[in-house]
This record gives sequence, structure tokens and C-alpha cells, in this order.
Amino acid sequence: MLSRNWRHLCRRYSQAVTFRTNENSPAQQNDKQVGLFYTVNPDLCKQLFSHGGFPKSFMKQTKTFTETAIMVRQPALDLINCIRASDMDQPAIRYVLYGEKGTGKSLTLAHLLHYAHEDGFLIVHVPWVSEWLRRITRHKEMSNSQTREGLVDLPLDAAAWLIHFKSQNQKLLKSGNLKTNKEYVWSKREKTEVGSPLSDLVELGINRVKYACDVIDALVDEIKILSNNKQCKTFVAIDGFNSFFYPLTRLNTPTKRKVEPDEVTLTSSFMKITKNDWKNGVIVVTADELSVPEEHHESYLPRYLLYKKGFEHLDPFVPIQINRYSDKEFMTCVSYYRDRLWLRGPTEIEMELKFTSASNPYKFMEQCAPL
Amino acid sequence: MSLIIKHLFIPTKSLCANFQQPLVRNITRYSTKSPVISSNNVLNSLTDWETLNKKKKVSKAMKAYLERAQEHDDFMKRQQFEYNIGKRHLANMMGEDPETFTQKDVDRAIEYLFPSGIYDPAARPLMKPPEEIFPARKAAEFDEAGRPHHYLFYTGKPNFFKVMFDAAENIQLSYIFEDKVLRKKATPDPDGTLNLSSSVWLTKDQLEQMLVENITDLEYDNFKLVMERLASLPYAYRHKEFIEKFRKSLGSQRFALEIPKPSYDDNGRAFITTYECLRKKARGDVTLRSPGTGKITINGKDLTYFDDIQSREQVVFPLIFTGMQDKVDVECNIEGGGPSGQAGAIRWGIAWSLRSFVDTDMLQRMQVAGLLTRDNRRRERKKPGQPGARKKATWKKR
Repeated sequence: MLSRNWRHLCRRYSQAVTFRTNENSPAQQNDKQVGLFYTVNPDLCKQLFSHGGFPKSFMKQTKTFTETAIMVRQPALDLINCIRASDMDQPAIRYVLYGEKGTGKSLTLAHLLHYAHEDGFLIVHVPWVSEWLRRITRHKEMSNSQTREGLVDLPLDAAAWLIHFKSQNQKLLKSGNLKTNKEYVWSKREKTEVGSPLSDLVELGINRVKYACDVIDALVDEIKILSNNKQCKTFVAIDGFNSFFYPLTRLNTPTKRKVEPDEVTLTSSFMKITKNDWKNGVIVVTADELSVPEEHHESYLPRYLLYKKGFEHLDPFVPIQINRYSDKEFMTCVSYYRDRLWLRGPTEIEMELKFTSASNPYKFMEQCAPL
Repeated sequence: MSLIIKHLFIPTKSLCANFQQPLVRNITRYSTKSPVISSNNVLNSLTDWETLNKKKKVSKAMKAYLERAQEHDDFMKRQQFEYNIGKRHLANMMGEDPETFTQKDVDRAIEYLFPSGIYDPAARPLMKPPEEIFPARKAAEFDEAGRPHHYLFYTGKPNFFKVMFDAAENIQLSYIFEDKVLRKKATPDPDGTLNLSSSVWLTKDQLEQMLVENITDLEYDNFKLVMERLASLPYAYRHKEFIEKFRKSLGSQRFALEIPKPSYDDNGRAFITTYECLRKKARGDVTLRSPGTGKITINGKDLTYFDDIQSREQVVFPLIFTGMQDKVDVECNIEGGGPSGQAGAIRWGIAWSLRSFVDTDMLQRMQVAGLLTRDNRRRERKKPGQPGARKKATWKKR
């Protein structure tokens, strides 16, 4: 038993050089680490991604592998360099990640989030827009908006997002430097004063679910003002952004009327924050085929997925394509999977897997599962 | 002179058989003395008469056989004549030269003049030379006296049992030789090998055709058993000729086909295009370029043209089998059918084109792996009264 463990250990450490990098901070990574895996600290992982942010299949894999390892890939490095090099006094630059299904858009976004967290950004991260607009659970709660006529609130989803926001920005919110600039009156008794900390606003939204959507709206305004005043820099990341522009959602009002995305209060809030009328921020969104129904999977290009409306809303933006694995990335991935005993068998199968998965990261992961 | 005597003599013989002996004696005496011819000549005339007598002793079996043979010959002659006439008619109908009208043209003409929708090709109208249609017959197996030529004639299947005997004898010889080698009284041929991997035993039908005898399944099994045993012996190569007679090579007719030489494009890369890659309803063409990097293009897309793993594997299989996956580039245009049909067609096309880029040994292995064989299966039609081609409705008592 002991000798077997030794053997395993030896094997692991003999391979460790080839596919893993010890540079665990995204800010320090450079071209030397392209194609290598780095491990995310479990505590940080819990803080950033416990309420979503990784695709489900990847979550399952991290559980199996007992670690969260993300591959350093070229688009992420390029984006980090871009963000560093850009002038924060100019209006926020918008980046659109796009690519085929399963090439790692969401994971690239997660990598960037890690960077943003390290660099002290205030993170506004929507894990998956379709979760709000297209996924109908049994307890999906909807109500007509009190403040804005003809719009629909998703109070539970909004509150859940506020919790996510709170846990992602624990440090910044605790420091108490961020204060509100306006007074918000929610009801006769409840109101938020000028100069109260931002965390109070978030807490209120979480405790009083009824106002969660309005709180988000206020929060977005506040963040924009704070960023303009250089009190914080903001990183906006929205996964599956094109869902906001798909003509219909799956939501129905109590009167069985189909709801359009524009009629949801959350949509309008996040539309506001993705406009480039504010400074000191970075906006990264993804255009994903998977966030729209299957009959619209003809192309993965942003123009097709965002429709004319979304395209014009985001224009001008920087498109960044996420490609399938290159040969080098594929080989490091193979050795990582071999290290995790996710892939076994003779070396000849690698060539075959490369062809059958067409170097698509998701397909490759899936096809290794039974091996 | 002797002729006259004979003429005189024959009726007397038939009339008065009783007096035959003395009469003959008298006359011969007479004849020998009277002319001035040599005694030799006379003797000749006597033997002539005796052979005539012998000819009459043809056995009944022989007579029957001769009659049958005559009949068969006449029949075949008639058939041949009719076939030739028919061929000329066909040639005239088709407006071609009857002198240069070949069997191939005949088949074409028949297909044109008698179009048939019958599914089974064997049931369609045909016109073939009579020797192809009527089975060959054995030549006479016995002499004029009715005695068989073959020592195994009375087994009923002399050719078959002769083969079996020969095989058994070869086995014995092999054993003896082995003993000799052990006692160091003989040396085996160091280069002698028997390679059976590229051929198979004759099938029962082929064996029957070869022996011109009908054999039963049991007899065929015995034949195979004996031959396998002979072939498995260490010194079987000494009876190579005998064994090869009963084997048919797998790839002979395939590789007899010309393997095309690749042409060269502007960049100096060798390329070869295979047209008519078919499988199910899919039709297409495949172009292979060498040297390449293993890039596969299908209708302008890469391997993701196929969604399922199986189809992708089908396409890649010939490349991986031959180890050419990063040495060639593949371009395909394919249309019709579904994914599996298209993948199968491309697989065949790639394998067929790869022939120009691999050595004969690999060619042999590809043949054995079934890469160079076309899959000619088609969708089976639905039958009336049942929900599918074979499927029956669930049986319900009432």
C-alpha cells in the first residue's frame, strides 16, 4: 500500500514540471505560462465562485480532481495586458468574448475575475444571464415592479445576486470607503441616507427581498458614480450577455403574457452598467450560443448572437475570440488529465482523442470521462 | 484380292456358322497358295479381321457414354450456333459491327433492350456463351472395355478422394522428413516458409467446380481439416505447390487493379483524387495531399462537420491505421445521405487514395482490415403489412 502511494507520488512529481505552473497570481503570469495550469486557492474559489461562475461540468470536475486548476490561455493574458495598458480616465472599454461551444469562454472569464479580484477591482459579476431569463424553476418568483410601470421584478434572483455580489466584494465593502451619494426612500419607514456605506444598501436588498431589484438599480447607479469619482475601479463581467437581446424570455406574467427581456427590471439595470458613459471601469461580456434556444445555434459570431440591438448597444467593443486548444495546450491538458487519472491507457489514444474531440476542451473532457 | 475373299466369306460365315472352321481353313489355304503375294500381306489381312472383331466388344457403359457425349456435343454445338446468331442479331439491332461485338457489348445491349427492375441480379435477363451457362461434364472415366482409368473410380468421387489421399500422403512424408531432420540425416531449407495469411481455402463451391464433383458439407469439412493439418506441420512448405492449389489469394484481384500514380500541384505536393466514394445514399470525392499536416476539410468545414464521435472516428480510422495522420491533408466534398453514410464514404475514399502513398505490406494489411472493401449495403425497403423492413407488429392475442 505504502509503496503504491510512493509510486503515485513519484509519478506525479516527475510530471509536475510539464503541465503545471506555480505562478498562481494571474497578475504575474506572462507568455511563459501559456498552456499551463495554475491552481486557484480553495478559499478564494469559495469566495468568488460559490454562487456560480464556473460551468456546472467544470464544478463537477473540480470536485473530482479536488482542486480548481485553470489553464492560462492566450486570450486571457491578452485581455489582462489590455486592461493594464488602458487609460482608466477614458470611458470604460467593452470586451466581448466569443467562440464555439465549449471552448472556454466562461473559464476565461473566471480567470479574469481572479485577476480583477487580485488587482482590487470592485467586481460586478453575473454568472449566467439565462439563469434569470430562461431557466424556469418551480419556485420562480415574479412580481410587477412597484416603481416602474409595466416592468417585471425577479426578487429572489435579485437577492441571490446581491448575496453573490456581497461575497465577491467582501473586502471592499467591509473597508467602508464606499458611501452612497443619494438618498433612497423605499417606504415610509425604510430609507437609505446619503453617505451610508454601500454594504448597508446590499444588506437591505438581501433582507427586504421585495426591494431587491430596486436596490440593484440603485447599486448600479452608485457604482457608476463611485467609479467616476475614482473611489473604486470596477470590473463588470457578464456571462451569456446575448440572452438580454434574444426576442423572448421564457417568463410568463400571471396573465400568461410572454415577457420580453426589456420588460425585466434586471435587464435595464445591467444595460445601464454596460453603457460606456462612465469611467474607471472594465466591461467584459460573453456572447454564448448556449444561452439562446437551440434553433438559433447557427453561428457563434457576436453579430448573429447579439442581434442588431445588442450590437449597437455595445458598439464600439473589442471582440476577443476564444479558440479550441492548440497542439501545445492539448498536450498539457492530456498530461494534466493523466496526472489526475482522468485519462488512462496507451499513448496512442491521445491522437485519436484529438481527432474525435477536434481539440474542443469541453468535448475532450467529456470523452475522457469513461476512459 | 483379299478384299474379295472377305466379301465372299462373310455371308458364308453368317449363314453356316457350323462349318465355319473347316471352311476358313480351306479358303485360307487356298488363298495363300494361289496368288504370288508374300505371306506377310496375308497375315495382315487376318489381323484386320481380328481388330474388327474386337471393336464389336465395346461395353454397354461405354456405348451409353459415347451416346451421351455425342448428344451433349450436338447440344452444345447447337447452343453455340444459336448464341452466335443471337449475338449478330443484337449487334445489328444496336447498329454495331457484328465481328467486333464482344460479350461486354452483349451484356450492355441486353440491359438496354430488356430493362429489368427485378431486385436480384441473377433473375434478370441475360445472354451468355453456352459454356458459361451449362456445367462442364467429366470426360470418359473408363476405357472401351468398360474398365475405369482411375483407381478410385468406385468410390464415386475419384477426384475428391484422390485429393484426400494425396494430402494424407503429404502429411506422412512431412512426418518422415521431420524424423530425418531430428536424426540429422536431412537438412531443412532455411528460407522455406509457407505464408497463408494472404489467402484462404477454396470455398465448397469453388472446390466442387475444380473437382467437377458434388461433395457434401461433411466431406468439405473433412477436406478442410486435412488441409489445415497439413498446413500446420513445420515442414509444410515442402508441399507448398500442393497446398497453394487449394487456396485463393485474398488480394489478388484487388491489387491487380492499377494503383494510380499521384499527380503534382503548383506547390509540388503530390495529390490524388478519388471520385465516386459511395456509401448508402452519400456520394462524394476525396482528395489527399502529401506532404501535409493532418488537416481534414469536409465541405469546407473541419472534422466538426460531424457531430457524433462515431462518424469522426470513421473518417480518421484509415489515417490512424496507416499512421499517416500527420503526413497528409484531406479534402472532401460529400453530399446526400446522413452522417454515417457520409462518414463511411469518406473513409473508403481516404483508404482508396492512401493506396498511392503506402507500401505493399501496409496495402495487404489494409485489405485484411477491410478498408479497401466497399460496403454495398442499402436501406431495406419497408414491407406492407408490417411496420418496418423486418419489424412485425406486437403480437396480440385478440
